[in-house]
Amino acid sequence: MGIGRRDFLKKSAALTAASLVGINLKIKTDGVTLGESASAGENLMRIPEEVKKSPAYKEEDGYTWVRGTCRFCGTGCKVWLGFRNGKPAVIRGERKSAINFGFLCMKGMLFYKLFRHPDRLTQPLYRKSKKEPFKPISWEKAYEIIADEMIKAIKKGEWTPFGWSGIAYYGSGQALTEETYLFQKLFRCIGTNHVEGNPRLCMASAVGGYLTSYGTDEPAGGYADFDKAQTVFIIGSNTAECHPILFRRIMHNKLKNPNGYMVINVDPRISPTSKIADIHMQFKPGTDLALLNAIAHVIVNEGLYNKEFVSKYCAFHIYTKGKDKVPLLGHQVSFEEYKQFLQRYTPEYAAQICGGNITPEMIRKVARRFATTRTVSIWTMGLNQRTRGVWANNLVTNLHLLTGNLCKDGADSLSLTGQPNACGGVREGGGLCHILPGHRFVKSKADRENLEKIWGVPKGTIPPKPGYHTVKMFSAITYSERDKKRFPGLKPIHFIWVEETTPMQSLPNVGHYRKGFEREDVFVVVNEIFPTRTTEFANLILPTPFHFEKTGVYGCTERRSQLTPVAVKAPGNTKPELQIIVEFAQVLAKKLRRERDPRLRARAHTVYQCVAPFIEAAKKDPWWTLAKEVWSEYAGKVTKGRDNDLSGATYEVLLARPDGVQWPAPTVEIAMKGGTLRRFVVGKDPLATEFVEKHPEYRGWKVVDYGHLHNLPTLPPESRARFWIWLRPYKGPAEPPDAEYPFYLSTGRVIDMWHSGDMTGRIPELANDYPYAWVEINPKDAQRLGINPGDLVLIETRRGRNIIPARISTDEGPMEGMVFVYWYDQEKHRMINFCTIDAYDPGSKQPEFKICACRISKYAPARPLKQFLVKLVKVKGGYLHNVEIDRAEY
Amino acid sequence: MKKEKNTKGRREFLKVTLGMFLSGALTSCDLSQLKNPRTMIKSPIRPNILRPPGAVPEEHFAQKCIRCGRCGEVCPYHSIKYFDVKEAGVFSGTPYINVMEKPCYLCMKCVYVCPTGSLVPCSKEDVRMGVAVINRQICVTWQQQKTGLMCKTCFDVCPFAGIAIKIDHDFRPYIIEENCTGCGICAYSCIADTWYENKGKKAITIMPIKWKKIKEVSLKSVKNS
Repeated sequence: MGIGRRDFLKKSAALTAASLVGINLKIKTDGVTLGESASAGENLMRIPEEVKKSPAYKEEDGYTWVRGTCRFCGTGCKVWLGFRNGKPAVIRGERKSAINFGFLCMKGMLFYKLFRHPDRLTQPLYRKSKKEPFKPISWEKAYEIIADEMIKAIKKGEWTPFGWSGIAYYGSGQALTEETYLFQKLFRCIGTNHVEGNPRLCMASAVGGYLTSYGTDEPAGGYADFDKAQTVFIIGSNTAECHPILFRRIMHNKLKNPNGYMVINVDPRISPTSKIADIHMQFKPGTDLALLNAIAHVIVNEGLYNKEFVSKYCAFHIYTKGKDKVPLLGHQVSFEEYKQFLQRYTPEYAAQICGGNITPEMIRKVARRFATTRTVSIWTMGLNQRTRGVWANNLVTNLHLLTGNLCKDGADSLSLTGQPNACGGVREGGGLCHILPGHRFVKSKADRENLEKIWGVPKGTIPPKPGYHTVKMFSAITYSERDKKRFPGLKPIHFIWVEETTPMQSLPNVGHYRKGFEREDVFVVVNEIFPTRTTEFANLILPTPFHFEKTGVYGCTERRSQLTPVAVKAPGNTKPELQIIVEFAQVLAKKLRRERDPRLRARAHTVYQCVAPFIEAAKKDPWWTLAKEVWSEYAGKVTKGRDNDLSGATYEVLLARPDGVQWPAPTVEIAMKGGTLRRFVVGKDPLATEFVEKHPEYRGWKVVDYGHLHNLPTLPPESRARFWIWLRPYKGPAEPPDAEYPFYLSTGRVIDMWHSGDMTGRIPELANDYPYAWVEINPKDAQRLGINPGDLVLIETRRGRNIIPARISTDEGPMEGMVFVYWYDQEKHRMINFCTIDAYDPGSKQPEFKICACRISKYAPARPLKQFLVKLVKVKGGYLHNVEIDRAEY
Repeated sequence: MKKEKNTKGRREFLKVTLGMFLSGALTSCDLSQLKNPRTMIKSPIRPNILRPPGAVPEEHFAQKCIRCGRCGEVCPYHSIKYFDVKEAGVFSGTPYINVMEKPCYLCMKCVYVCPTGSLVPCSKEDVRMGVAVINRQICVTWQQQKTGLMCKTCFDVCPFAGIAIKIDHDFRPYIIEENCTGCGICAYSCIADTWYENKGKKAITIMPIKWKKIKEVSLKSVKNS
């Protein structure tokens, strides 16, 4: 020790003093609380009397429990929210539920921490220009402003076949069914079909796939099939992280029967899902169509197909551009032609295209397994977020139809949804530009008139043409030269109402669309619970209640609707969306009445009529009764007689059932038993039974496809009431890698962070584990480029760039020549959607998030990074987002 | 931790005296606070309170370390802190990492700045600050039948996931003691304390071990409860 005694004394004294003072390392919250947070003795419970009397309420272990659903992901787990001393304190699973059997993942267990989070928005905030700070205003004032701006935007635009061109609504697969339904009702009554939602980004291709294959949307089976299946075919899904509860079920079955239960994972990336897979098929991104056709080739050529099922219940269809008028219908071809079409896709040819570890022998093995056992296929964004997403969906369903792996126990073609209410709210509730509630179509005159009659509004209220799909809608907001060239005849949008979603983080090529939201001539209204990347561009922020702070129904993947009753008092001055719509519509109606334009004046009555049945309830009890009345209109009247018949699923039934109701459930008796597990099977599905009784020509059929699109009178009789096998050729991605941008870029999710991370990022336990996003690089590529774990990597595409830390793992991660980035991070340099491509599927209009070309290089050595969240900061004259104060830094 | 037999030389004696003097000075000469004067020479290293990476065995550490504070200075995560005299006596001013406040992220910067070799440079994989022990009574995934939770947070955050920590087919984690560095990220991230029946207890504890005896210690003495 080269140190004197005196030095030692000095140093140790100094250090001891320093450690007594201590360094405070706690993360400071620089956000502001606008409303009051809960005081110690305050009781936060708001449980309606009706719920207290139902089985959805109990008192146990000194806690008060209320039953609802989980808000994260599309699995639809049933949860109990527990209160201690009047405050939400715990969430646990419902054991009687047929979905999760009491199991929950971390997101579900911890979301009670968001109820009184200090970042919660609790006051309507308004600013005239997007450069000014926000000022709190009253609700009445907010309604006035929205109505004025909306009328102004309508006048700026023009009347077109899809209605007023100047205004738009952008909804969410997280909004409750009642909210989506009432919002779209309001906008259709105002007279526009510019009604879209973020499900366009997540499952529009699955809608297209089911519509073309079955003639009606949504899967035929459910989660119960996992238990009876022998093979699970996972393609384009990281189930282990994105649907952990379903993965547990698959894993449980695999464990029980390791030899008889086979898991096949098809993914360019080795994910946690691959760990239980017997076969992992790793192929180049975007070559899935060739692979799926090759599997079909083996099944047909080796005679493994189910001859009875194919000849009796299937028809073959193809769409040829130029020849067929309607892409959804195409024209019929024979089985021989299908065989001829498949000849090209030999396993050898597919293996050559697919690359990776795919061998012809592997394809043959998978095809044989698929054909000879009961198989469930599951997929998510890997197939959907593609420029040929609908085709990929068709090809998976083709395999099921060829092998008869449908409409029986343990066999289904199941598209998992990512959002809790993408199926229930948006697909069924009419939250997209081309559909109306109850699986109706905007283009169909009969559907429109039927709906107008139910609503009690004049004929012709709903414009006859679909509005703009998501990419087009945001292009119409940005309205730059590029957009005008891309969509000829594009009409600009000047007003958008964004509900419970954050497009300014979740859109592909978001840098381009952020320019649109920056425009001063676009008025942006956002309903949110937290400041997000979208509220950053808002003119008006409306604070809304969180899950369990309002009442409503979520519909999950397997056509199951579940009720979440109000249980917690919403903080501050928030109002449920339903109340906002009802109150706003009355203000709007008043203003429209004073307009000079007769077309606008005529709408005043329609708008009033749209919410008239709910005005009384909105005044009296917006938290429970209002939602109940909207649901009884939607389920009881609008879905009655449709294929998603929910008229039996009243709130009483939904409260009583531990796991909701699967439609079709036309009567209360059927709904009380849980609805219909298996669609299209005569004897099990009430609609199929009814269909066969009505049409004597199908008597004796065990399975009948009653899908509306497959029973049109214009179709040849050999196509009617049958499932359709589609002939879909191979097509690669929109932007394959080239010499300049040699890597595939793909994006995804981690287990504990959900989508944009606005909610999960605010749960400290989860944020500790995943404070920032990273890029996964194959070790071989990393070695070649000299990138070490933790190094900051520069990712560049033709649209934008990211600087993001690297993670290099030998047992997980993407294949060589591909990088994988998580998209939950809100920091500007780590928001990967600046890089993704906005090319979209011509059928479903879903963008191709999963594949684009990029190049990577080492940017800087590893350095510690911090979590970043958008927050509101108090400044002189009001509130600003932290990202707005210093644009360059964030 | 087993108490070490101290070989008190002149130096040790001097340190004790100095420590007591310092402590007396800082606490207004209130020696009654030192309930047991032996705490002055007992190592303050205990579960979850660990030496930084590459530390020499604890019996030598206090002698080798000159309390220069450089390891804490370079630590980018502010994980390294220093003992104060009240709790550590002669060990005052030596560095430690409290994994429950801030774990070690194994950036390995501290080992290169240590002037006396109290922290010996080594690679990430060779760090043995301690070993993680999972309390299966507390772990929400091990208690799956009761809690219904499927947490695998510790597995997700471990820098050596799959090597130092593995999960079985029901997501239940277990530690491979030979490979555990004791960095404490798993203990820090453990969310078992949020489960209402656990009363704020975390399921993972990092037990300190003797650096050179890792091989024998691992399986025999640090068996899961």
